Amino acid sequence: MDGGRDMIPPSWIAGLAAILFGIGLWGAITRKNAIIILMSVEIMLNAVNLNFVAGAFLHQDATGWMFAVFSIAIAAAEVAVGLAIFLALYDQHGTIALDEVQVLKH
Amino acid sequence: MTELHPYVVFIPLLPMLAFPVILILGQLFNNREWWRKGLKEGGWIAVITLGISLIFTLLLLAEVWDFETVEGKTYAPDEGHITYTWLEHTRMVETENGSFEFVELDSTHERWSIDFGFQIDHLSMTILFVAAFLCFLIAWFSLGYMNTDESNAGRLHRFYAEFALFSSAMMGMVLADSFLWLFIFWEIMGLCSYLLIGFYYERPSAASAAKKAFLTTRVGDVFLLIGLLMLFDQFGTLSYERMDHILQENGAMLSVDVIRAALILLFVGAVGKSAQFPLHVWLPDAMEGPTPVSALIHAATMVNAGLYLVARMFPIVAAESMLHNLEIVGIIIAWIGGITALMAAAIAFVQMDLKRVLAYSTMSQLAYIFVGLGVGLWAANTGHEELALLSFGAAIFHLFNHAMAKGMLFMASGSVIHEMHHAHHHIDDGDEHDDFDAQSMENMGGLGSKMPITTVAMAIGSASIIGLPLIGGFWSKEGIIGAAWESLLVSGGLVMLVPAILVVLTAAMTGFYMTRMWAWTFLGRPRSEVAAHVKESTPFIRLPLQVLTIVTLLGIVLFGMGMDSTMVDGTFSNHGHDSDHHGFTDIIIGALTGHGHAYNAIVAWTTIFLSSVIGPLYALRIYGRPLPQDEYLPNSFTLITPLLTNRSHYDNSKWANSKVANALRRRLYFDEVYDWAVMKFITGGAMLAALFDKKAIDGLIRKMSSTTLRASNFMRSLTTGRATDYLVMVGLGVMALGLLLLPGAI
Repeated sequence: MDGGRDMIPPSWIAGLAAILFGIGLWGAITRKNAIIILMSVEIMLNAVNLNFVAGAFLHQDATGWMFAVFSIAIAAAEVAVGLAIFLALYDQHGTIALDEVQVLKH
Repeated sequence: MTELHPYVVFIPLLPMLAFPVILILGQLFNNREWWRKGLKEGGWIAVITLGISLIFTLLLLAEVWDFETVEGKTYAPDEGHITYTWLEHTRMVETENGSFEFVELDSTHERWSIDFGFQIDHLSMTILFVAAFLCFLIAWFSLGYMNTDESNAGRLHRFYAEFALFSSAMMGMVLADSFLWLFIFWEIMGLCSYLLIGFYYERPSAASAAKKAFLTTRVGDVFLLIGLLMLFDQFGTLSYERMDHILQENGAMLSVDVIRAALILLFVGAVGKSAQFPLHVWLPDAMEGPTPVSALIHAATMVNAGLYLVARMFPIVAAESMLHNLEIVGIIIAWIGGITALMAAAIAFVQMDLKRVLAYSTMSQLAYIFVGLGVGLWAANTGHEELALLSFGAAIFHLFNHAMAKGMLFMASGSVIHEMHHAHHHIDDGDEHDDFDAQSMENMGGLGSKMPITTVAMAIGSASIIGLPLIGGFWSKEGIIGAAWESLLVSGGLVMLVPAILVVLTAAMTGFYMTRMWAWTFLGRPRSEVAAHVKESTPFIRLPLQVLTIVTLLGIVLFGMGMDSTMVDGTFSNHGHDSDHHGFTDIIIGALTGHGHAYNAIVAWTTIFLSSVIGPLYALRIYGRPLPQDEYLPNSFTLITPLLTNRSHYDNSKWANSKVANALRRRLYFDEVYDWAVMKFITGGAMLAALFDKKAIDGLIRKMSSTTLRASNFMRSLTTGRATDYLVMVGLGVMALGLLLLPGAI
């Protein structure tokens, strides 16, 4: 890694990560469609990855990148599981609009 | 005194053990023949137990007698004292070798303890004998009275059990060595009184009477308790012996005002228990209970509890440190006694119910004893020791005589009522006429020839109460009246003028109403068919009457032996007084001639004249009619037969219908006044309390529950069932955690 060239300041990266996280969170809370929520969760994960990378830049440490790679792998697995759950949900309730599925309501 | 230890505790203990035994056996075996006929539904258990207690009492008396005559010294309290310490205030101190031990504190002000022990002195022995003797006799009497009444079948185990409990409480109270245990047994007796008065609980009048008795004595008991607490605060103990000790050693450190107030409060308790004005209203209604109950509780024992309590005040009042400071106590007691005596005698004039006459008579005679005690207390506190002992002795002797005579009178009246019931059943065969009042004298008359033993018993008993010369009650009554008038002669004694006059007036009235009662019942023609068919009673009833007749007649013997002063010997702590032993005849003649002083003689003979001549003769004029032809009174009455003629009887209808008589018939409106007071004050207070309970306390609880409900509803609304909402909550939670855990964030 060359330390002398003009780098992107890590704080900007972290800032972008924060914005992305916020967008993802807003989407996860507000959207009805289950798949959109899944996408929002992905965005959140992406933001976290960015945060790791920013950290790696800041501390000149390769550990950050490793964490990011793990995180991507886990995100992929999680999407698979989530889609499987949504399929089962559709089978049960005929819809994937999560505001209509209120099974846990007291 | 090793011989005493084993059996003193049995005297109250055995009957107390009989109580659950009779109750349980009765519940279990109520329908068995052997229980009903053989054991008389627990009657025999009660009688035998009380008989054993009586035997122990007599043995104890014999022992004390022996000790005193042989060893020649008085049976001092510390020798008769057996104490078991229950609770004691001690301090833990460290000893030299480093261990800890309990040390008793010696300064009498720092130390307190609660113990149980027995007080054996002349006063307690006297009243113990009265109690044990009468409990036994009346239990024996009940065997004949209660068990021959078919309406009682199947429930007498309750009666005998409560009877036994009551007896044990009375004997325990008298033997107790501290005011604390006196109070405890006092309350037990109050309970038994309630239970026994309300024995026929299916009758509303009986149930109300029981409640009235309990509540009225309760009022007295509250004041008694406050008084006891005040005494405990001053003395640090309620034991008679220790209080005596403190009075002699540290008397100056006690607060006289507190003790004065405490003694007056104690007397209020006695007023309630002994049915004196103004807490007397329960005694006439208590006659709703069966006659043995009236005999035992309301004539012979429980009402004497109040007298005993006042008698136990003597050591305090007579102490040197209290001299001249407690005079008001004696004065109040004497005055209340005088007022009650007159009031009760007046109301007795118009009573038609046999037992109620006796009830008012009891009230009146107890008032006499209070006058005697009051005068004695006053005299003791003003330093006139001779007079105090005279009055006190006469009062306690009168207690003895009255208990014997009244017990007998009630039993005799029971005999009459019992026979009236039986005759009623014979005549109106199987007819349940509840409106025939077997107790009303209006239905009696002419029984003298039909029930000779009862007639004689009742006559002797009445004579004792009236104070007919030479018969039992005479000696003690003269003693009280004499002491009251003698107190007028000493300095400051004029305060006793009113009681002294009242007491003489009452003597005359007593003569009148007792004779009226006897004449109306036993003389003249039978006023109802029932009365015409009456016969003498069963053996169980006869024996106690005969025994007590003899005891009453023996009054002269007891007096001659100087019993009145012996009964109270040693009860004061500073009595240092040698009982000069006069001869038998000296004492008798001395009493009759007023010990040689003209003043006393005049008082004595005036009273005798009024009470034994004027009163009875007047009553005989109005109420005494001769028996029907061919019927004769028992031989002993040949003297009065000439007095009974059919002609020229005094017509007292003007008096009988006067306003005074009507007021007396309504018992001087005490019940109405108390009723009004209760309605106004207590009901108002009760409604206030009910309102507070409903609004404030219930409101608080309801507020708490509604708040909790609202909070829980709020929590419930959070569970929407939507996954996204839960996500929000997770997010918020994580944020909160992060803020808390990150250093420097919060």
